[in-house]
Amino acid sequence: MTINPDEIVLFQWGWFKINATIAFTWLVIFLLTFGSWLITRKLSSSGELSRWQNLLEVLVNGIKLQIREVSRQDPGPYLPFVGTLFIFIAMSNVLAIVPGYVPPTSSLSTTAALAICVFIAVPVFGIASQGILNYLRQYLQPTFFMLPFNLIGELSRTLALAVRLYGNMMSGTIIVAILLTITPLLFPVVMQALGLLTGLIQAYIFAILAMVYISSASKAHEEIVKKGEE
Amino acid sequence: MIIDWYTIIFQIINFMILVFLLRRFLYGPVIRAMDDREEKIVQREKDAAAKKKRAEDEAQRYQLQKAELEDQEEQILEKARAAAENEKRELLEQARQEVDETRRRWQESFDRERETFISELRRRIGLQACSVARGCLQDLADIHLEKLIWGVFINKLENLPGEDRLELKKALTAEGETTTLKSAFETKSEQLNELEKALEKLLPDAGKKFKLTAATAADLICGLELDAGGYRLAWSMDSYLEDVEEQVLKELEQNSLSGLKTDAPGEVSGNG
Repeated sequence: MTINPDEIVLFQWGWFKINATIAFTWLVIFLLTFGSWLITRKLSSSGELSRWQNLLEVLVNGIKLQIREVSRQDPGPYLPFVGTLFIFIAMSNVLAIVPGYVPPTSSLSTTAALAICVFIAVPVFGIASQGILNYLRQYLQPTFFMLPFNLIGELSRTLALAVRLYGNMMSGTIIVAILLTITPLLFPVVMQALGLLTGLIQAYIFAILAMVYISSASKAHEEIVKKGEE
Repeated sequence: MIIDWYTIIFQIINFMILVFLLRRFLYGPVIRAMDDREEKIVQREKDAAAKKKRAEDEAQRYQLQKAELEDQEEQILEKARAAAENEKRELLEQARQEVDETRRRWQESFDRERETFISELRRRIGLQACSVARGCLQDLADIHLEKLIWGVFINKLENLPGEDRLELKKALTAEGETTTLKSAFETKSEQLNELEKALEKLLPDAGKKFKLTAATAADLICGLELDAGGYRLAWSMDSYLEDVEEQVLKELEQNSLSGLKTDAPGEVSGNG
């Protein structure tokens, strides 16, 4: 039994290869983009809403509200990044209910890629909102000696992000696989349902943590501004 | 190796593409639509507020107008009431006048009728009395009433007092005057001659200058009248008849009064 979908190579041409992780990621991207295009090409801003538009509006509005609640800032600039994290992970995890599908998030490469994206996004948003000097000064807080610990913290939380999601998704797949050998009837269904719940929770946790990291990097700026005003 | 760097880089690129695509196809349109709707709702709310404000203003204006109209209505009603009162008073006055007029006219016609009735009555009583007297005298005593009356008339004429005699003379001798003897019965020519002689005897100095004619006047009933222009010598049953008339009127009034008295209770009960 293969645990890592990276190892399932579907197509190879020289160094270029397409493994199951990439293929299923493309599938998810296609589904999300096509679905979005299908629904948003005929949006109405007045009168009755279609139920699909309503669903998208609830989703987007929910994400916006969550971002606002966590960051206490205008969700506009963070929405595409954080929202996409949530939607991509949730979609990848929910599709696990389909037989034959392997969630890309059960590959450590995918979760690591997402964690690296967050790792890069934090300083990008931080610098964009408070300037490079102010951002870098954060690592020297409260004293210069804390610099190494701050750096370690930064790296470890990225690693934690990647491993948390990977561990949860991989374990879900493995548990179902193990249960199938012990009690092949009914019980794996319950575990699959539980897997759906776990998948959604993990998507939520990943996106919220990303937002917390980003907002903590840009909040310092606000605090400084506030101090300056005082 | 659990971590495949090739896959990681691929996935990072994939994720970036997905961010771009979702931004293009999901967040952008949805947020735009939501903002649009929100703006429209705000606009609608503003419109509604403006309309409400306008409606309230309108309502207030109508309220004012209504109050004004009610005021005017009250005034108009007051005027109409006053006019109606006036009209009523005038109509009442008019009706009263009409009633008075009717009553007056009725009274007049009643008086006239009474007058006519009485004069007719008088004439008939006179005629009847004369006829009875004539009949009685002729049948019982073989005396002609007319002859007797004539005799008395000539006698009276002969014994006329001095003053009247002068006046009669003056009237008889006046130029162009005709002296007429009016009588209820037919005057015979010998009677006319007798009168002429009596007048000549009475007024010897007047000469025979006067003309004497005879005429029948039924309304004299049982009397004679000598009409000489400015002077008139007459006697008839008039004074007797006046007595009778008075008596009859008194009798009638008493009868009508007692009739009213006996009629009154009946009328009251009839009305009740």
